[in-house]
This record gives sequence, C-alpha cells and structure tokens, in this order.
Amino acid sequence: MAASSASKWFRAGRSLLAGLSENGLQRMSHDMGCSDALCQQERTFIQMRTNLKVVDNSGAKRVMCIQALKGKKGARLGDTIVASVKEAQPGGKVKKGAVVYGVVVRAAMQRGRCDGSEVKFDDNAVVLVNKQGEPIGTRVFGPVPHELRKKKHVKILSLAENIA
Amino acid sequence: MRLENCWFCSSTIYPGHGIQFVRNDAKIFRFCRSKCHKNFKMKRNPRKVKWTKAYRRLHGKDMTQDSTFEFERKRNRPERYDRNLTEDTLKAIKKIDKVRVDRAARHHAQRMKPKRAKELKEAERELQQSISMIKAPAVQIQEPSLTLPKTKVKVSPQQAEDNRMEE
Repeated sequence: MAASSASKWFRAGRSLLAGLSENGLQRMSHDMGCSDALCQQERTFIQMRTNLKVVDNSGAKRVMCIQALKGKKGARLGDTIVASVKEAQPGGKVKKGAVVYGVVVRAAMQRGRCDGSEVKFDDNAVVLVNKQGEPIGTRVFGPVPHELRKKKHVKILSLAENIA
Repeated sequence: MRLENCWFCSSTIYPGHGIQFVRNDAKIFRFCRSKCHKNFKMKRNPRKVKWTKAYRRLHGKDMTQDSTFEFERKRNRPERYDRNLTEDTLKAIKKIDKVRVDRAARHHAQRMKPKRAKELKEAERELQQSISMIKAPAVQIQEPSLTLPKTKVKVSPQQAEDNRMEE
C-alpha cells in the first residue's frame, strides 16, 4: 500500500519546496545577499510527501503526509491528514512505518480568519490522532491556532500550552 | 474587535488588514501591510529603518512621553456595555486626539526652531562672501550702497601681537 501511494503522481518543483519548507527557511536566511524576490517563498498546501514535525509525545518525530483528507489541493491549518511515520523515538506509542492520522496544528501557509486577517506559523507541525479524532499523545508543544475549536478538536486545545 | 499596532511601523491595524505571524515561541507579530512583513522577513531592525515610528521616537523626531499616551494603554478586562460611557469615551477620544496632534505639532516646531536662525546666519555669510557673483567689484567701489557696511572689529593688543608673531 505504501509502495502504490509512492508510485502515484509526484509533483516536482513547488511541492518539493513546500515539503522542504523547514530547511528552506534556514537556507533563505543564509543567502540574503541574492535578490530578495527569490528569497520570499510562496507557501503552499500540505500535500503528499510533505514532511511535518510531530509536536506531541506520541513517540513519532517526523511524519510524511500520504493523503490530505478533504481538499483537492492539499491540507491547511486545522485539517486532518493521513501520514506515514518516518522517524520515531525508540519507546513510543507509534513505531516507524506506521500509518497514522494527524491534525495540522501549525502551517507555514497563511490561513484567513473570519475577521479578515491572516495567520501563519513558522513551520509545519502535526498532532497525531486516532480515527475518532482524539489525540494519541498526552502533551502538545508549541502554539496552536484557534481554528481547531471550529473543527471540534477541543481535546488538543486543552492540552496546548499556548493558543495563538 | 481590537485595533492592534503593527510590529514594524507601529501604525494601527484595522480589521481585515494585515498578516499575523506566530513564531514557535508563541510570540505573535502583527503587520499592517506586506511592506512591513517583508522588511521583517529580511530581518531588518525597525529601530534602524527611517520611516518607522520606532526610529522616530528613538531619535527624538517624535514625542515620546506625554500624558495623552496614557489613555491608549492596552486593557484586557472587557467593560460592561454602558451607553453613556461609550458616548463619553467617543467624545473623549476626539478631544484627546486633538490635544495629542497639537502637542506633536508643537514638538515639531520646537525641533525646527534652530533652523531659522541657522538659515539667516548662512544667508548673511553668503552675502558677505559671494556678492561678487552678482555684482562686479568695480561697481561696488563706485556705489557704496551695494556693499555691506564695514564693521569695526576690536582687536585686543594681545591678539594683535599674536598676529604679528604668526607673520
């Protein structure tokens, strides 16, 4: 199943850029000498092959998106994704290679709020959940957005230390 | 609804404008427009960028301490709605704005005062030195009204002796 999903269409260019957005930001700050037009990245959706950081204590460290449930172009802030665990801590609840569901809690792509403003975060981060939407871990690190309340992820909000 | 201040230029951000950036340490940066946002991404320090309020306040171009600023402090407690209070507040805002603008204008005038004296002094110097640009020296000898009156400078005997020593 993993092999078939990997052999599907793999968009180069922008998607790769979005996937490497975490490294991209550091690279951006190094080559400030070059033209500023190139340095401002266009942030896009979270799609297949996007690497995300896991910000709970479920045991996984890095996760790669397999499918964005809902959304033709990809997932945004507050959406759920199906992901494959790429890197895990030795004694955690999830192991490497497992297929899990996750809720995107931080996205580098800006999302519009109902008052007309836009929010964006520093990186792409996800909290692992089960099929019912309850988080697998017991702690969440870093700031999380208000948008989760509308999506009914109240449990994650209650575990969060900062609500942006 | 709350009116925030842009992190970079300190102007007010009205609803429907701007971008909020949340850093991973949960610090929120609000920007009024993409100009400020792009400057932030370039890691520019607002205290060094000439057109920002931060620079102007730091370099004494704008008023820093004034009692009118006390009225604009951030309040986190929501007030119970009272129509009279709201009316009074709106009237007060208008008046405070007027007072603040007047004081800022006065501060600006105070800042620009030495400029007038400097301009006059420079004009006088220019007149003394470069009058030959306009009128030929021959004409000036004939008509005394074209030259400036000769001023007598008192030279003390000590100074006179120094001058002779120099030569």
